[in-house]
Amino acid sequence: MENELREKAKELLESGEVAVVIGYGFNRKKTRITPVFITKPEETDKLVFNELCVNNLSIYLTRKYRDIQKIGRPAIVAKGCDIKNIVVLITEGQTKREDIHILGVTCSGVVYKQELFKGELKPEIMPSKCHNCDVRNPHVADTVIGEKSDFTPPEEPTGMVFDKIKEIDAMSDSARWDFWNEHFNRCIKCYACRQLCSLCYCERCITEKNMPQWIETSAHPRGNLAWNLIRAMHLAGRCTFCGECERGCPVNIPLNLVNQKLVLTVKNAFGFESGIDENVHPPMIVFSEDDNENFIK
Amino acid sequence: MTDKYISKDGLNGLIASVKASGGRFVAPVLDTRQVVYKEVSSAEEIVDDYILPRNSYKEIAFPQTEILAKYELTRDGVTIDPVEIVARDTVVFGARPCEAASLASLNSVFTWDFIDETFTKRQEKVVVLSLGCVDADDECFCTTVNLSPASTEGSDVALYETENGYIVTPLTDKGTAFVSAHSDSFTDVAKGEEKKELVNPEKVEGVDLTKLGERLAKSPNYDNPEWAELTRKCCGCGACTYSCPTCHCFDIIDEGTAFEGERRKNWDACQFNHFTLHASGHNPRDTQYKRYRNRFMCKFHIYPTKFNSTGCVGCGRCIRVCPVRLDITDLMTAMSS
Repeated sequence: MENELREKAKELLESGEVAVVIGYGFNRKKTRITPVFITKPEETDKLVFNELCVNNLSIYLTRKYRDIQKIGRPAIVAKGCDIKNIVVLITEGQTKREDIHILGVTCSGVVYKQELFKGELKPEIMPSKCHNCDVRNPHVADTVIGEKSDFTPPEEPTGMVFDKIKEIDAMSDSARWDFWNEHFNRCIKCYACRQLCSLCYCERCITEKNMPQWIETSAHPRGNLAWNLIRAMHLAGRCTFCGECERGCPVNIPLNLVNQKLVLTVKNAFGFESGIDENVHPPMIVFSEDDNENFIK
Repeated sequence: MTDKYISKDGLNGLIASVKASGGRFVAPVLDTRQVVYKEVSSAEEIVDDYILPRNSYKEIAFPQTEILAKYELTRDGVTIDPVEIVARDTVVFGARPCEAASLASLNSVFTWDFIDETFTKRQEKVVVLSLGCVDADDECFCTTVNLSPASTEGSDVALYETENGYIVTPLTDKGTAFVSAHSDSFTDVAKGEEKKELVNPEKVEGVDLTKLGERLAKSPNYDNPEWAELTRKCCGCGACTYSCPTCHCFDIIDEGTAFEGERRKNWDACQFNHFTLHASGHNPRDTQYKRYRNRFMCKFHIYPTKFNSTGCVGCGRCIRVCPVRLDITDLMTAMSS
C-alpha cells in the first residue's frame, strides 16, 4: 500500500499536477508519525501509512496556512474520516474540489493516541469513530489507495463515547453542570482543540476579537465554560467527529462527548450527516421548507 | 548541613508539619489519567512512577490567570484598587532537576528591567525539593542542553530515591532552613541506605549549542527557507508554551463592563496568530513558521545572550504534548550544522 502511495505521489509531482503532497511520515527516531510536506519526487519515499496516522491533515488546506498554499496545488493523503472534513471545507466554500487532489487511503482503524500503541492495534486503543466507521473506503477521492475494506459498521453505534452520552443524558441538570464544569475547569486555553480542527478555519477566532472582548479569555471557570460552549455551538451540524480536538487536548477534556452529542442532535433534527456529500449544504446555513418546526411552540 | 533521610511513609509527617506552619505542599498526583503538580494533604496521593508532570510548577509563581487590580467607574470618577499579591509558603516536592533549573531563568526575565512583584514575591516563598530521575523517556533531552538528573541548579533541597525513601541534601540557605524547620520529619541516613542509580537520557546526536547560538545570531539565517520547511506543520496551538517551564509571556486584559471589572494578567503564547497582530492589521509574523521560529530563537538565542542562561532545560514537555509531533530537537540538530 505504501509503495502504491509513493508511486502515485511521485507521478503527481513529476507531472506537475500537484506541487506538494501533504502526507504522513516518521519522526527522526522512527517512533511516531508526523505530518510531512513532500515537494520533490525523489522524497516521496518518506510517505508512510499505518495505524499511527491519526492526524487529520485537512487543517493544512485552510487559509491559515498561507505558506503551504504558496507552494501550489496540493495532494493530500486522507482517510475516509479526514475526507469528511475536506467535504465540509468544500461545501462551505473554503476550498474547491478541483483545487486539491485527494489521495484517499483505505483504512482499518487508527490509534486514539500514538502513545498508546505498543506494536498492535487493539480495539481498546481505537477511538469510537473507528469502531463505527462507514468510510473505511474513501467516499470522495481522486485516487483510492489500498485494498478495499469490507467492514460494515454496527447498526447501533457502539463505544465508550456513546455509552457515556447516554449516561450524561440521564443525569440531572445540576449533575450535568457539575460534570462539565469539572472537566472545563482544567482547560488551559491553549486552543489546541481549535488549531487541530480544520472546521475552525476562521482567521480571526471570536476569542481574538477584543474590541470589545466578546469572550473572556482568562482560564477561569467562566472563561473556560464560555470558550468550550462557543466552540461547540460553532461546530453544530458541521463537526464530523474526527476526534482531533480531544486527541490534542493536553488536559484530557472529553470533547468527543460534546461533539458526538451535537452530531446526534443534528441528525435527529435535520436527518443530516456532515461530510458525506460535497454538493449538500449543512443545515445551519440553508433554509428548507422541510425543516422540522416542532420546536416552535 | 549533612545529608538527612525521609522514608516514603514519613512524608506524611512532613506534609502535616508544612501544613501546620501555614504552608502548602505541592507534589505530583494522578488527575484524569495524567500526572500533574497539585496540592496534596497526604503522602498516599503522591505518585512516584512518573517521568515529569504534565504542567510546569512555574504556575505557582506565575499563575495562568490572576487579578492585578479592580476598577470602578462612578459619577465621581474612576477608582482603581490594586489587588494584594497573595504569596503562600509553598513546597514543591518531586520537581525534576531540569525543571528546577527553569525557575532561575524565569526569574531573570521577571527582574530584568522591572521587578515584577507578582512573580518575585511568590517565588521567594517557594522551596524546591528536586528529585533525581531514575527513569527517562524518549522525549527527555536534558543532557543535550548541559543539564542532567544530577543537576542542582534552582533546587533548594536535592532528593535522591532509595528503596523505601529519599536521601535529603540541602543545597541553599532556604533549603537548609526548610530542613531545620521541619527537622522532626527527617532522620539521619542509616548505614547501607543506597541511592538508586540516576538515569541519563541519551544526548541528541549532532546538537552543538555554541554553533546553534552562533547560527541564530547571524541575521541572514533568519530568513533561511529551512525554517518553513522544518516547521510548517506547526498547528499554532499553545500547548508547548503552556507546558514549557521557561515560557513566560503574558497579556494584560480588562475583563468586565465599562463600569466595573478587573484587570488580569493572563498567560499568552507567541504561537498564537494575534500575539503580534498590530492594530493596523499588519502582522509581522504572518505565518506559523515565523511564530515557531520566534519561540526557538527565544530559547536558544535571546535567553543565552540576554540573560546568560539557557532558555531550554530539555524537559521534553513540548515534544510530548505536541499534537503534530514537532520535535524541537530536530530543529536543534538542523540548526547546529
